[in-house]
Amino acid sequence: MSYRKFLKKMKPKEQREDFKKGEPKSIGTSITENLNIIKQKTGNSPDIIIRMLTFSHDPGVSTAIVHVDGLVDNPTINEFLVQSMEDSVQEKLEEKDLFKVFSEKVVAVSSLETLKDWDSLFLALLSGDTVILADGKNEALIASTRGGERRLVEQSDSEITLRGSKEGFTESINTNTALVRRIIKNPNLWVESMNLGKQTNTDLSIMYINGIVDPDTVKEVRQRLGRVDLDAILDSGYIEQVIEDESSGLFPTVTHTERPDAVAGNLLEGRVAIFVSGTPHVLVVPAVMIQFFQTPEDYYVRFPISTLIRMLRVFMFLISLIGPAFYVAATTFHQEMIPTDLLVIIASQTESVPFPAIVEALIMEVTFEILREAGLRMPNKISATISIVGALVIGQGVIQAGIVSPAMVIVVATTAIASLATPNYDIAISARLLRFAFMLSAAIAGFYGIILGLIMLIVHLTSLRSFGVPYLAPFAPLELKSLKDTIIRGPIWSFNERPESLHPQNPVRQGKHQKPLPPLKRRMVRADTKEGDKNES
Amino acid sequence: MEKAKISTIQLFILMILFQLSNSLLIPLAMKAGRDSWLAILIAAAVSIFLFFIYRALYLYYPSLLLTDYTEKIIGKFLGRILAFLYILFFLYCAARVLREFGVMLLSFAFPETPLFVACALMILVVIYTVFKGIEVVARTGELLFVIMIMLAFFLFLLIAISGLIDISNLKPAFEDSSKVLNTVFTETLYVPFGEIIVFTMIFPYLNQAKKMGKTGVAAISITGAALALTTILNISVLGVPLIERSLFPLLTTIQSIQVGGFLQRLDVIFILALVIGGFFKVTVYTYCAVIGTASLFNIKEPSKLAYPMGLTVLFVSMIIASNYSEHIQEGLKIFPLYVQLPFQIILPVFLLTIAFIKNRKKE
Repeated sequence: MSYRKFLKKMKPKEQREDFKKGEPKSIGTSITENLNIIKQKTGNSPDIIIRMLTFSHDPGVSTAIVHVDGLVDNPTINEFLVQSMEDSVQEKLEEKDLFKVFSEKVVAVSSLETLKDWDSLFLALLSGDTVILADGKNEALIASTRGGERRLVEQSDSEITLRGSKEGFTESINTNTALVRRIIKNPNLWVESMNLGKQTNTDLSIMYINGIVDPDTVKEVRQRLGRVDLDAILDSGYIEQVIEDESSGLFPTVTHTERPDAVAGNLLEGRVAIFVSGTPHVLVVPAVMIQFFQTPEDYYVRFPISTLIRMLRVFMFLISLIGPAFYVAATTFHQEMIPTDLLVIIASQTESVPFPAIVEALIMEVTFEILREAGLRMPNKISATISIVGALVIGQGVIQAGIVSPAMVIVVATTAIASLATPNYDIAISARLLRFAFMLSAAIAGFYGIILGLIMLIVHLTSLRSFGVPYLAPFAPLELKSLKDTIIRGPIWSFNERPESLHPQNPVRQGKHQKPLPPLKRRMVRADTKEGDKNES
Repeated sequence: MEKAKISTIQLFILMILFQLSNSLLIPLAMKAGRDSWLAILIAAAVSIFLFFIYRALYLYYPSLLLTDYTEKIIGKFLGRILAFLYILFFLYCAARVLREFGVMLLSFAFPETPLFVACALMILVVIYTVFKGIEVVARTGELLFVIMIMLAFFLFLLIAISGLIDISNLKPAFEDSSKVLNTVFTETLYVPFGEIIVFTMIFPYLNQAKKMGKTGVAAISITGAALALTTILNISVLGVPLIERSLFPLLTTIQSIQVGGFLQRLDVIFILALVIGGFFKVTVYTYCAVIGTASLFNIKEPSKLAYPMGLTVLFVSMIIASNYSEHIQEGLKIFPLYVQLPFQIILPVFLLTIAFIKNRKKE
């Protein structure tokens, strides 16, 4: 037997179906049998609660309600469901069909539907619905009683703004879609739901605005999600990694956000949002690179200010990308480009340092990365200790010992702060990784190396696409009209079109002439201006 | 051909960047002395005619590359040989540009780095870009173009406010017209303007064929104006004698900038312009060689040719000349008259004539 054949034999056979052949697919008529199947399937787990009820209507027929403890809203079941079931039976004593009575009369829960197969029954049960079974019925009634302990809508920790809504998404997918619906009250806001993950059966919704979004994009999203055959989806990160265009690249081609207003804004531009149950991070596709330098707050403050801030962010990104590399190149290869006075200072500092600039830079950068990682996942009390140790080690010890020059510490510290100032963690982390590559190329070939690296980076970025949209749009390929909302943030009254690169069905965003027109400019006021006129000087 | 389209604005930028790239940096038309700017403008005007020859060929075969329609025009056997020669021509041009670039870079910034290393690093990036195809080349061009424009404005501003410009260096103008014309037709027409012959390999990718004429004329005019302006700037800052002695007049100009005691030695800007320009020209030439080879030999995935062709360019650039003065000598005396003149002017005119006669017969 060859090695490969042996391996093949060793592999366990795929067990995809939960239901083995020969087992019933649909619900039977005997209630005891049905309940036994439920018990057996769930391994007699104690959190599956089965309550037998008998109504005065027909004592021979027993009814059972089944639900999972903790997933359901207990008051709904105890106070409303059971109570109104009893009441409805009392009311309609002559009607023989119990389920018909329930579906007509039980109004205490928001929805009631009938099911016949076990698959959907279990899905409903485990999603928090209550299953009602009755003797002699080969179907089950599903009452919507989803509830249980969830985190409340709170301010998001990762995307903090000074102005704008403080609401952030939660782990509940229904709450999340509702939060967006509350912003866009429009019947064209369409939601499609699906269930992914063979073991986890995670709820997933895609949301878009019909009539704005490019139908091809929605089709593409549907198709890519349709291909997903994962075991488990524990976070939207799982989905992100199986639907993105460039799976092995450093740059994110899918954005995610915790803010409903950000999702709403993106939907209105013609994007598609993907909600995943169990995570507050909602995916938004397609993504272009410039989005990672934008925050919802940019649109809430006046435009010259947000333009300046956006430019600052791109500049910060560049610093965090090539800051140390620039220093290494300048001090190693191009000393003549540094002003003489500064060069003298740097030279006197580096005189006692035993390493070349690149080694210094690597030592400091790695130290910083270690400190950052250590501080990130520590309880607050310990992280304070880490920052003290870090500050002492970096700021004092290393310099006094003469291992690293003070200039290098300044460069690394500036880079670190610049990297933290990039608003999106995903793009900041790509810069963080690439920084090392740039440092090495600077050590090999100075500015030449850095420039070649940058060109390579540009080539890579221009070759990326996110759901068919070029990653560097609207810069390359150039779309002049869409440039208003990129590094610069034009005034709101000039955003008359949606971004071209997304091919929106309805490209017109708002009416023309939105520019405010105050009645008189406060220049020189004419003598015949009436008294009490607000524009008089 | 690959399945891709570029827009008119991308073609426009490609043409400008391609022609400007290294000609911005080297002394251009210096045989004409202080009237070299005039020689550049005349050459640009003449090259518009050249462009229309290439355009006419393209209009006969709007969906074919140069290396494809040679076959249609002069028959399978001769056509294929000619196409092959054109591919060699592109490869050789790429190698020449790479060599020039490498020498320039090393001569002032990295005196101790071996030439091979500098060129090899560059060709790595070129290979990566060619591998990604024409769309990526065009988009990269768009971004690099913006960088170049910003640099140009910045430099112009600095030169202006540092008070270096001395117009009297340009006087007297229009000294010797025969010298100017001589320069145009022996040198300047072929480099950089005649080099747009490579765009016969790129025109078929254009998505709006109608606007091509306007785009090309605009690109050539702007290139001519930009080069003439740079030359005027160089002459007025440095004077003719200094330019004649310097390898890179623009670098000397940049180095003479001193503003406020701290904006000085802006060599890094020159390196930036040099690398971007060199990169772009080598990329376009290599790309055309790759795509031509792919269509000539019927290769399904042109991107796979990027590695072998790129490495060929690298090695050819190493063996092309034993030293830089030999290289320059070839570039000034032999290359324009015996290679560029036939490939850029005589052969296209010849092809166009035959295509014209053939197509008239059909009607």
